[in-house]
Amino acid sequence: MANQDFSQNEKPEANYWRSFEELYADQKTLEAKKHEFLEGVTNDFNIEKNLSGLSRRKFIALLSASAALAGAGCSDYRDKGEVIPYNVKPEEVIPGKPNYYASTCNGCAQNCGIVIKTREGRPIKIDGNTDHPINKGKICAKGEASILNLYDPSRLQFPLIKQGGIFEKASWGSIDSQIKNSLDSASGSEIAVVTHRFNSPTTKKMFEEFQIKYPSAKIYAYDVYHNEIKNSAWKKCYGGDVFPLIKWDEANIILSLEGDFLGVEGNVVEQMRLFSDRKNVNDVKSFNRLYVAEGNMSLTGMNADYRFRLRPDNQLAFVLSLLNELITKKNISSPAVDANIKNIIPSFSLKEFASQNGIEYKKLSHLVDDLAANRGSAIVYGGRALNEQTQIAVNLLNEVLGNTKTYRTDAVDISKSVYSSNEELKNLVSSMNSGKVKAVIHFDTNPVYHLPQDLQYEKALGKVPTVITLSESENETAYASNYVLPISHTLESWGDYNVRTGVYSLQQPVISPIYNTRQKEAILLNLISDNLQNYSEKLYLDYLKKNWQENIFPKLSSPFTFEKFWIGALHDGVITTKEEAPQSPRSGVSKFPSLWEELGMGLISHKKVAGFTVMITESYRLGDGRYANNGWLQELPHPVSKVTWDNYAAISERSAKVLGVKNNDLVEIKVGNKKVSIPVILQPGVADNFISVETGFGRKNSGVVAQEAGVNVQPFYALSENSNSPWMVTNASVSKVSGSYKVISTQDHQNFDDALTKNAHLKRDIIQEGTVLQYLKDPGFLHKNKEHHLPNMYDDFAYNDVKWGMSIDLNRCLGCGNCIAACNVENNIPVVGKDQVEKGREMMWLRIDRYYSGTPEEPKPAVQPMLCQHCDQAPCENVCPVAATQHSPDGLNQMVYNRCVGTRYCSNNCPFKVRRFNFYNFRDHFANGYYLQDSVSLMHNPEVTVRSRGVMEKCSFCIQRIMEAREEAIRVNQPLKGSDVRTACQNSCGTEAIKFGNIKDPKEEFYEYRNHKLGYYVLEELNVKPNVTYLAKLRNTHSEEV
Amino acid sequence: MNIDYSQEMPVIESRISLAEIDRLISRPLDEKPDKKFLIALSITLTLLLVGVISISYLFLYGTGVWGLNQPVGWAFDITNFVFWVGIGHAGTLISAVLYLLRQKWRTGIARFAEAMTIFAVMCAGIFPIIHTGRPWLAGYLTPYPNQHGLWVNFTSPLVWDVFAVSTYFTVSLVFWYVGLIPDFGLLRDRTASKLKKTIYSIFSLGWRNSHRNWNHYEKAYMLLAGFATPLVLSVHTIVSFDFAVSIIPGWHSTIFPPYFVAGAIFSGFAMVVTVLIFVRKVFDLQHIITLNHLDKMNKIILVTGSMVGYAYAMEFFIAWYSGNPFEQFIFINRAFGPYAWAYWIMVSCNVFIPQLFWFKKVRRTIPVMLIIVILVNVGMWFERFVITVTSLHRDFLPSSWGYFVPSVFDLGTLIGSFGLFFTLVLLFTKTLPVVAISEIKAVAEGAQPSHNGGKH
Amino acid sequence: MSERKLYGLTALFQTPDEIVHAAKKVQDSGYKKYDVHTPYPVHGMDAAMKLKPSNLGYVTLIFGLSGAAFALLFMYWAMSKDYPMIIGGKPFFALPAFIPITFEITVLLATLATVIGMLTFYFKFPNNSQPLHDTPYMKAVSSDKYGICIEADDELFDLEKVKHLFKELNGQNVSDIYFPVTEPFKIFEPKFLILLAVVGMLTSGATYVTLNKLLYITPFTWLMDQDKVAAQSRSVFYADGFGMRKPVDGTVARGFIPYEYKGLAAPVVPLSNPLLPTAQILQLGRKRFLTFCSPCHGNFGDGDSRLRGQFPNPPSLHSEKVRGWQDGNIYHVIVNGQNVMPSYSSQLSRDDRWAVIHYIRALQKAKNASPSEILEAKKETPSNAAK
Repeated sequence: MANQDFSQNEKPEANYWRSFEELYADQKTLEAKKHEFLEGVTNDFNIEKNLSGLSRRKFIALLSASAALAGAGCSDYRDKGEVIPYNVKPEEVIPGKPNYYASTCNGCAQNCGIVIKTREGRPIKIDGNTDHPINKGKICAKGEASILNLYDPSRLQFPLIKQGGIFEKASWGSIDSQIKNSLDSASGSEIAVVTHRFNSPTTKKMFEEFQIKYPSAKIYAYDVYHNEIKNSAWKKCYGGDVFPLIKWDEANIILSLEGDFLGVEGNVVEQMRLFSDRKNVNDVKSFNRLYVAEGNMSLTGMNADYRFRLRPDNQLAFVLSLLNELITKKNISSPAVDANIKNIIPSFSLKEFASQNGIEYKKLSHLVDDLAANRGSAIVYGGRALNEQTQIAVNLLNEVLGNTKTYRTDAVDISKSVYSSNEELKNLVSSMNSGKVKAVIHFDTNPVYHLPQDLQYEKALGKVPTVITLSESENETAYASNYVLPISHTLESWGDYNVRTGVYSLQQPVISPIYNTRQKEAILLNLISDNLQNYSEKLYLDYLKKNWQENIFPKLSSPFTFEKFWIGALHDGVITTKEEAPQSPRSGVSKFPSLWEELGMGLISHKKVAGFTVMITESYRLGDGRYANNGWLQELPHPVSKVTWDNYAAISERSAKVLGVKNNDLVEIKVGNKKVSIPVILQPGVADNFISVETGFGRKNSGVVAQEAGVNVQPFYALSENSNSPWMVTNASVSKVSGSYKVISTQDHQNFDDALTKNAHLKRDIIQEGTVLQYLKDPGFLHKNKEHHLPNMYDDFAYNDVKWGMSIDLNRCLGCGNCIAACNVENNIPVVGKDQVEKGREMMWLRIDRYYSGTPEEPKPAVQPMLCQHCDQAPCENVCPVAATQHSPDGLNQMVYNRCVGTRYCSNNCPFKVRRFNFYNFRDHFANGYYLQDSVSLMHNPEVTVRSRGVMEKCSFCIQRIMEAREEAIRVNQPLKGSDVRTACQNSCGTEAIKFGNIKDPKEEFYEYRNHKLGYYVLEELNVKPNVTYLAKLRNTHSEEV
Repeated sequence: MNIDYSQEMPVIESRISLAEIDRLISRPLDEKPDKKFLIALSITLTLLLVGVISISYLFLYGTGVWGLNQPVGWAFDITNFVFWVGIGHAGTLISAVLYLLRQKWRTGIARFAEAMTIFAVMCAGIFPIIHTGRPWLAGYLTPYPNQHGLWVNFTSPLVWDVFAVSTYFTVSLVFWYVGLIPDFGLLRDRTASKLKKTIYSIFSLGWRNSHRNWNHYEKAYMLLAGFATPLVLSVHTIVSFDFAVSIIPGWHSTIFPPYFVAGAIFSGFAMVVTVLIFVRKVFDLQHIITLNHLDKMNKIILVTGSMVGYAYAMEFFIAWYSGNPFEQFIFINRAFGPYAWAYWIMVSCNVFIPQLFWFKKVRRTIPVMLIIVILVNVGMWFERFVITVTSLHRDFLPSSWGYFVPSVFDLGTLIGSFGLFFTLVLLFTKTLPVVAISEIKAVAEGAQPSHNGGKH
Repeated sequence: MSERKLYGLTALFQTPDEIVHAAKKVQDSGYKKYDVHTPYPVHGMDAAMKLKPSNLGYVTLIFGLSGAAFALLFMYWAMSKDYPMIIGGKPFFALPAFIPITFEITVLLATLATVIGMLTFYFKFPNNSQPLHDTPYMKAVSSDKYGICIEADDELFDLEKVKHLFKELNGQNVSDIYFPVTEPFKIFEPKFLILLAVVGMLTSGATYVTLNKLLYITPFTWLMDQDKVAAQSRSVFYADGFGMRKPVDGTVARGFIPYEYKGLAAPVVPLSNPLLPTAQILQLGRKRFLTFCSPCHGNFGDGDSRLRGQFPNPPSLHSEKVRGWQDGNIYHVIVNGQNVMPSYSSQLSRDDRWAVIHYIRALQKAKNASPSEILEAKKETPSNAAK
């Protein structure tokens, strides 16, 4: 029909007229219509006249203006780069959308399950695997930050051969054949393989095959930090090789003796979770109570309800006095205790002990009462650093109290490798010296740095013709070897782990090796293969699969075919089976009396040990030193002292006075022939005549970042001779030496005696706390006698959509700093370097403030994660001249980077000082653009702007995640829920202290935290209306007073 | 010497003919620059160079070259800004306020003071621009819709600053220029050289000393003075808003506007005196810029100095009276905390030392007065430093307290700003009449018809 | 000299008293177009010349007020109409915060208007070609003499009369001033044109360099090239330049368990459809089908390709065979492809595929519904009634 319409109005008949004249055909009008212009419009236009009328100035102005415009006009478009799509798009990758791969972390012997977030095949973030039964979706700061190691510019990128003292680049082919030859020739005499403890069944098999091929090969396993003493003590008490785990979540009373189970000992991630399960603010009655007796202020000590500062070498006396108190005073009888013991222990009086060690007896009696009252539902935990006698005494104590009920029976840790004994290591070195060892293979280990100085390992290496080091990056050992083989990063390697009974986890690469590296198992496999040349990246994968198919799969009695099973296993990352956990024999009970004799405990008198006791501890950030070249971890503030980039000697104020040293002064610690000079920090809560230092620092030849970071105190590490602790030396002579060394911390060391600043955090209601008893008596006690009347000048802005908020539970927050690491990775936070931290320019969006109240001897620490509070009435917004920061309709305080000119006014006006300014382009400024190199750019989160110099930045509540959730909600057209978004810090928090969600949705779990009776805002009286709520800390004390 | 203050003393000492006045004042312009001048200029140019170098470093590497850090986001930059704006105020005050108050003695120094205003504001204007992290985006602070149609944030004191300072500069410049027009006319008619004549003609716009023009001219001058006066007050008020509008204890204070204005006049007069002492010597204008002028200005310094002192005291009182722990802390911390040294320099230079001006002898002896006024300038610089830094370095959360240490580039920039200022002053003395000739003539002996006694 | 036009007659006086007296006389003798020239404003002269007080004040007032109004309105419009933003929880129109700027604008406009108004409208400046310029008379009056000038085009002007008047006022060196002869200015002289060309070239050149080169060298950062690899962008790290990498063989991404029967001719055990055919799913399936399948299979799956002829037509989806298939078989074809049909696994997500299958089922049902089913559909059930 359309056509018909057209045909109709081909000739418009209608007579259109514009005026009556026209309608009635007035001649003049019709005439006029013929000319375009009416009379006089054009004829008085004379170009000559008009132009010459133009003044010169005007003319130039016009011309140059038009010229300028022309210039601007012909400005070309700047090159925005080209678009490079996939040639063949993999099914799982959608450009701009992340993929997730389940795998296993190999950062330490705990092998937590992880999920790796990749963008277009590049890993950009590591999170815990929620399906993993042990770490349940959480990992530690090291794990979070370890992604930087993958892209670390100073990774080894190709094999190296040392020739004439200098390393030269070599091809895998040639280096393999050379090594093979030397190994073949070495057969007969010993080939030593030095590895760390590992939990991989397939690696174990690989080693066995290696030994079949080279029968003279010996496998040595070591770790700097281990549970050997604890275990041997256990063996002595109970026999057997089964060392039970602890049901931390079932212990009402926890007494930790020099045991940092929330910091570095055991599977910290799991222990944090179990511990904090008993810090649920919705069930305050069931709060557990933590007693800690320790020398240095540890992360665990910071979270204690009662803390006794006690030199580790006095722990034994402490335990015995407790036993005495419980057995004789509270006359608790136990089969483990016989007359003999009963006779001896009375010589250990708790009162005396208290007075001798300056501990308030009242607190100790609280402890005793608690232990007595909670028999069977308490646990006494002896740290791994305590010597064997103390460990045995601890076992006895638990036995007496019947706390063996809190030992786990369902599962135990298992390892595929046993540590070589001290004798073995000694033999290794001596046979190296005597030339019996023809070849040494360092299987991703760094013994030159780690092993005790007395062994003289490096010297011995000189005697070995072939020294092969498999390493990710250069280190001390690599420098001492002739072949350095670069190995792939965890995220580039295959693997399998069996950490605990019934828990198998798989490790899959998420990116093919970015440098010319091979994974360490594959290198050895290739060496023992009959043809060196047929190495392929799948070499170890095939081996792994084969091993599983033949050895592991059959045991698992899985209903599926192996293929299906394998795929599923990779997908989930972990398989759990119903294996029976080996039980530890309970025969031990009767053993104690005999042990007692054997150890001659009766002879122990509590004499004061002269001189200083020095203890080396595992670094919270660098582990045993393997993370020394990780800028993020170096810069991560120490959870207690907030020190970055360095280690230091933590010392008590009194001892410092005795030595005549202040912060940053150098002291020399001398033990036998070993001496180290190191700066001191006056750490509140440290025992007198005691020094505690972290290892892992002072690395040599270990990359740009690790250089000159801290002091190497590894020399103090000893072989655990006759059941003494290898990490503790007594009778150390400590003296002040000239000079000082500035130790940098992100928070100034608090001054206790300055009346002006003392307890400022309490006076200002920044930290609000109470006691469990207070709360139980009156849940509203916090807001009791302060009626807030905060008048408002304007009506609040009506947010009618989601409004984001966060709540932070200070009862659960331990101050470990995992959240900071996670935030750094998620939001492309640069490393600024020591010099900049010193100036006070660290860039972390999230910091954990630490405050002390009380006395330097008995400090009451409080921690508080501090991030942008996203205030409704944000002071920063009012003052920004260019409106670069304002509020979004969902209640976020936004930062518009490319609008920001960097006046820093917002930061000045921020009461919480959470804004961070790019004083430089820090990536460029740090170590001459170390982190500006190409490899690092692959790691950065593409969804987050990489801020340039001169721009202000701050916590964005992970806006990129919010937007992702919003898009998804739109895609499936569902309303966006607060629970759809999990911020990076929330995700990483091992104790779920951080909750995030929609303030306005009463149906959400978050809502009850937001409106909890314990909730308060920091600096409430400023009335800036923060969207971050803090839940006041409740100390589980005996009396109401804090 | 004893002077009878009861009756106003002549503006010009000793009778000089009008022609003589012309000669005297325009001599520096007619003569070639002499050695002394060139030496002075080379010194100031060196200072300026130092500034240029440090600022180019700043541009190249970023704000990090300064000593700023997390709690202390502003230090030397804003200190210098406020300091120079303050210096500027004296000029406008002398030329405008004293004009409205019919203070004839102002005529000798007005022109010079106005010039200094303009130069000081130029120095000040540099800092808001260079203190930003990305100075090339300073244009964002001007209200134009960017590619997303976004305007500036009109509620931000920094935007108020942009308007206040630019207005202040423009108005001062206009005021100054209007005063100069008749003198340009004179110079045009005096000079012999062709080039100078053309230049002067252009600037004189063809001024003809016509009384029909004088009629409007005087009216306009009156209006300008009338506007400049509230303007000058508003400008430093708004500058003080940068602090007063914030919530930082030590900044968040209602006393700031009057306190800042007083301080501005205080420092401004000190600077004017400093420079005049040299100018009247070098160009022997002792007859036109007399001791009486200096005497009167010293009195004003004394007054304003005491006002500033009062403000200091009042801050402490209010802090105590408010019962606000943060306020109380910040002020105790100022006087006894890590920055006590700066605080006490400020107090002694601004409050104690000027008290010497109670003595006439001191007011009228050049060397002593010179030392005092220089100290006053030092003190006033430190006042701004104390306000800016001590408030920031220890604010609400003890966890994020810090300490600011200036870097060499901080100092370089400060030196540079002085270099710029004095370079401009020197060039001014050589290119323009340092005293308003037509005004001086108007108040000379017998310059007015006898039927109103030769004077007003 | 006679052809030169006379401007006026001038006389000089020594003291302010004389000039005031003279001015009074001249005024009284009825001259209008005369002017007095003095090095500085002489008091009492206004009275002598009977000048009205200046009305410059009104200009100031008007512009001042309009300045205030403009500033306030503009800020109101910008902050609450043009681009409202939530800033510090303040209302969009936060009046107190707008006062300072309003004041400044007022002052600025008022002063500028006053001065510019005076110079241009009252004084007719700039004007350096006025006859009095460069005369000894002007030199004298700008220094220390007081002069008076009566202009020739005053209707009472008469050379002799004026000379006489001046004599009796004993004005010294009385002199007559002539208009200067000015020749009109020419613009099309080559020198000037060249200048213009040069200026033009320089400006455009400078503009170009600044806008395109200068502004993009260090230290200028516009956050344009960031140190990260966005989707589909080039990587400087990899030699092949691909910022997007392939997943490692053998790995399994969360939610992407590889299809079991990939590459097989037919699935051993066809998968079953995990989705329920809800309206939402069918909508999704329809969307995907029309996007990816319909080009060949046709909008209704009849195999009537839109690419008629250019491409072998696929068989109809309504064939017995396909209808007989389980969902798993169709899924298999989508994933693996068949004959000329390639795999669509990278275009269609897993859910998409199953949704499409549901949609295909719907199409098949629609084409091959049994009468009973049609009756069923036609029945007045609540669900149907709703439609």
